[in-house]
Amino acid sequence: MGMEQVWLLPAIPAGIFVVIALFSRILPRGGDWLAILGLITVTVLGVLVLIDFQGSFTGGHFDAHGNNVFAFDWIRVADDFFAIEFSTFVDAIAVTMIVVVSIVALMVMVYSVGYMHGEARYGWYFALLSFFTAAMLTLVVSGNMILLYLAWEGVGLASYLLIGFYWERRTAAEAAKKAFITTRIGDVGLLIGIILLWRATGSFDIQTIIEAARAGAIGETYLTVSMILLFAGAAGKSAQFPLHVWLPDAMEGPTPVSALIHAATMVVAGVYLVARFSPVYAEVLIARDVVLYIGLLTALMAATMGLVESDIKRVLAYSTVSQLGFMFVALGVGSVTAAMFHLFTHAFFKSLLFLGSGSVIHATEQQTVEQLGGLRRKLPLTATTFTIGSLALAGVPIFAGFFSKDEILLETLKGAPLAAYVALAFTAALTALYTTRLVVLTFFGEPRNRHAHEHAHEAPTSMAGPLVLLAALATVAGFVALDGVGKALGFAGGFGELVFLEEGHHFKLDPAVAFGATAASLVAIALGWAYWSGAAERAARARRWAPELHALLVNRYYLDNLYQAAIDRVVLGLARVVAWFDKRIINETGVDGGAQTIGYFGLRLKFLQTGRIPNYALAMAVGLAAIALLAFGTQ
Amino acid sequence: MRDILGHSLNFQYELLLPEIIIAITATLVVGADAFRNELRLGRRILPWLSVIGLVAALVVSLLWIDTQRNFARLITIDNYTTFFRVLFTATAIVVIVGSHEYVERHIGHIGEFYALILLSTVGAIYMAAARDLLTAYVAIEVLSFSLYVAVSLARNDPRSGEAALKYTLLGGVASAMLLYGLSLLYGVAGSTQYTEISGALAAGTGGMTLPLILGLVLIVAGLGFKASAVPFHMYTPDAYEGAPLPITAYISATSKAAVLALFLRWFSGPLLPALPDWQWMVALIAVLTMGLGNLVALQQRNIKRLLAYSSIGQVGYMLMAITTVSVVSASALLLHIGGYLVTNLAVFMAVIAFYNRTGTEEISGFRGLAQTNPYLALVITAGMFSLGGMPLLAGFLTKFILFTAAADGGFLWLATFAVIMSTVSLYYYLQVIKQMYLYQPDGDARRWRLSPTGYLTTAVLLAGTVVLGVYATPLYTLADRATRVLFV
Repeated sequence: MGMEQVWLLPAIPAGIFVVIALFSRILPRGGDWLAILGLITVTVLGVLVLIDFQGSFTGGHFDAHGNNVFAFDWIRVADDFFAIEFSTFVDAIAVTMIVVVSIVALMVMVYSVGYMHGEARYGWYFALLSFFTAAMLTLVVSGNMILLYLAWEGVGLASYLLIGFYWERRTAAEAAKKAFITTRIGDVGLLIGIILLWRATGSFDIQTIIEAARAGAIGETYLTVSMILLFAGAAGKSAQFPLHVWLPDAMEGPTPVSALIHAATMVVAGVYLVARFSPVYAEVLIARDVVLYIGLLTALMAATMGLVESDIKRVLAYSTVSQLGFMFVALGVGSVTAAMFHLFTHAFFKSLLFLGSGSVIHATEQQTVEQLGGLRRKLPLTATTFTIGSLALAGVPIFAGFFSKDEILLETLKGAPLAAYVALAFTAALTALYTTRLVVLTFFGEPRNRHAHEHAHEAPTSMAGPLVLLAALATVAGFVALDGVGKALGFAGGFGELVFLEEGHHFKLDPAVAFGATAASLVAIALGWAYWSGAAERAARARRWAPELHALLVNRYYLDNLYQAAIDRVVLGLARVVAWFDKRIINETGVDGGAQTIGYFGLRLKFLQTGRIPNYALAMAVGLAAIALLAFGTQ
Repeated sequence: MRDILGHSLNFQYELLLPEIIIAITATLVVGADAFRNELRLGRRILPWLSVIGLVAALVVSLLWIDTQRNFARLITIDNYTTFFRVLFTATAIVVIVGSHEYVERHIGHIGEFYALILLSTVGAIYMAAARDLLTAYVAIEVLSFSLYVAVSLARNDPRSGEAALKYTLLGGVASAMLLYGLSLLYGVAGSTQYTEISGALAAGTGGMTLPLILGLVLIVAGLGFKASAVPFHMYTPDAYEGAPLPITAYISATSKAAVLALFLRWFSGPLLPALPDWQWMVALIAVLTMGLGNLVALQQRNIKRLLAYSSIGQVGYMLMAITTVSVVSASALLLHIGGYLVTNLAVFMAVIAFYNRTGTEEISGFRGLAQTNPYLALVITAGMFSLGGMPLLAGFLTKFILFTAAADGGFLWLATFAVIMSTVSLYYYLQVIKQMYLYQPDGDARRWRLSPTGYLTTAVLLAGTVVLGVYATPLYTLADRATRVLFV
């Protein structure tokens, strides 16, 4: 098993999806064991791919472009007359994604055995998780834009189906629709971008496109527009402003799904896409600046919204949006290393936080923080692991998030205006603040809902296991960046080497940045602790202090209202015009009229068919004579 | 051995082994049928004997992959021949396996039925394999005569005899046209050998332009009849309706494909130098065929007549590939023929299974099939959608490549017309699907099952329709290898 067989990774869960979808009623336990077994296989094979990829490390860097592409023709007509080839491509970015996706998917599946126990459509749930994993793995190993786009829509479909898993609940159905439509808006941009790049280069092959762009074969404006359109697709999938609105609503799905799809994997597809095209973004700095400032704005906005949200899962959703913004900032200053590193650590601590929140919801059946509190005594394991995840998210030293966030801050300081750095550092402090609020309100203080609190019980083993494992990863995942650790783990050249495309980048802490960020985080945590750990009355004072600001944040900057108004007034108004046009002109005149005309011809022509042999022979003779006359007439 | 002109002739009879096997099987089938009582054979022996012979022929024909040899300068054994040998024997196998129940109930002379299918398969193969005009002509007649008789085999159906009579009489007229055209061509080129005709026409025909054009007109008309191209198609709906269902399926598959194979062999080889003289003729009948076939199909109430007109429309698309004859369009045509055979047979096998149960051919009889037999409704739906050219099914991909090849060959208007007609065709295919899914079954609404062979054939063909629609590259590669021997 090596890089050549990487297609097996998506093929296994795809096959399992088919089996479970068809036979979940016959299979014992709905086939969950099959899905988990498949994922264990995928994880093992993924590690083998990683080892094989390590083998290509020669002369100080990885062989990133050479023989890693393995293609088969999906269709090829007369050499290049019409050809679409599907290829897989394995490089450092893909390997990182494979590891993240397979580990988190495995954890989430094991956790789901406990969490989804006794649910209706239990088998279908595991079928969908397998389908999602297959699509996500296809996405990350695809070497070709068509296959990438297919997988891109595949994960979107999986996300839609899983957000709407409880489709009997109206809010879930609405949220699924919102997620699908919002990301589709970005996807249109992606599709146009793919077509534009194909038009310019004549190829769907990603490496060919990248090389053509770097060789200057594409005009600068053209390329800028194409790359911004690609980013539109990325912004939709990765919930960046102004398309971020779907992700908080997507929390209607089962919580393990939020951990897998809406925290660790699918939402980072956009980051992956931009990282994949980072050599091209380096050529068109305007497009890269768009990535930078959209990321920055999103990070800041989402963090402020997270500060006032009271639904535990939605706080985490805003946090995800904000952290994705951090990754885009890293990409926007050209540091793929920092972005991929943060993606890597974030996947672990954020899925941990989601699974922890799932454990809380499972125990109390409450998910607003006003109804929680004091759970640390009832759910010690959940509280501990959740706190570890929060420390990682807040960027407290030795936890995973510290290393990667520090790296992003450092790169921003080096590669962007100082104002951007300040804004990002402020956002990092805000992150620590809202994280503290969440932990304090959930696990500390006095229980606000006695009833829920009394019935709370710690999670079963299948849920506890993934929590502990992910907590361990959230603690140590950052260490891989240290050269010594990276090399000890078998990463030739260390982890920084692994995720960087061009040349080795060795991680080292900048004392000033690290110290500043740590101090800011600790101050924010202390502030948060002091503020929220006391009586609820004190916490409510903020609202009175700045009611307008509070209202602005609670209403999510009125963006959802704005969109709804725009949809109601503009889109529906336009739709009414189009509907009239469609009904009267297209349907009644065009289609019905056309159909009637065509049907009329058919009716008339039908009567040529008399059933009499002489008439038939006459038709042949007339036809023959007519063609002959025409032939001689043209001579 | 040498012929009268001193060409050395190659008499390796083993080159003809597949057809010899089929012909011997046909004889055995007739013999076994005649002495069935004496030999105490069951009726079931005949189809299985036929299938064994066909499978043997199919396997043997694989021996000559990538060879290029000829038999006595009359028959070429190359990849093109092998492609159609496999295609036609496979088609015959499918038809025989899928229809044995029907045959037991509705066919008077069972032995003849199987023997005629076997013999016409030989004719069809030689239409693709011939390298001499007269051999090709004889092959056409072997196919045609077998079919004339086969059409008449439906017991207890007065339409069957009438259809056979019409088919035979008009077929005779068409054969006369074709033969007359061939003799004019011989007069112009001085040979019946493809290679020599090609050379003679390329060298210029001097003052012989008028005979050549008249010959071409007659050839196009004669072949047009065999392919049921408009305006030589008139017999088609009547013959399809009157013929026993398996024969209708067989005509719409093998007979069509064989004529197109011959068309391509002639128009990419011996007649290629006369391209300017015939290209517009073929384009003209392609347009008429697509247009009329699809328009009149809209008005049909009988499933067999609907499929007859649908197949006329399909021939129009295929003639488009002859019009723009090129390396790309040739392999696109073979791919399309392959996809069309699979899809069309899927529909026909499903219709046969439906008829076995219900005994009706009316489209309104399909009401509520989605409730009484959802599997069969699915097969028919997939087949109809594929014929209409919906993506993810064979019909879309093969048509897409075919139309692209035509547009690329300078016939954008023809491709545009084909796309429009393709859209029109969806209307009548959807009519059938509508009956199955949107209406309640009339009367008996109980679920029913197919026979094992019914399940087998429809499942294989359904899978083929889907697989070709998603991943057609293997078949395309074969088509491409088959057409490399043309244009030389």
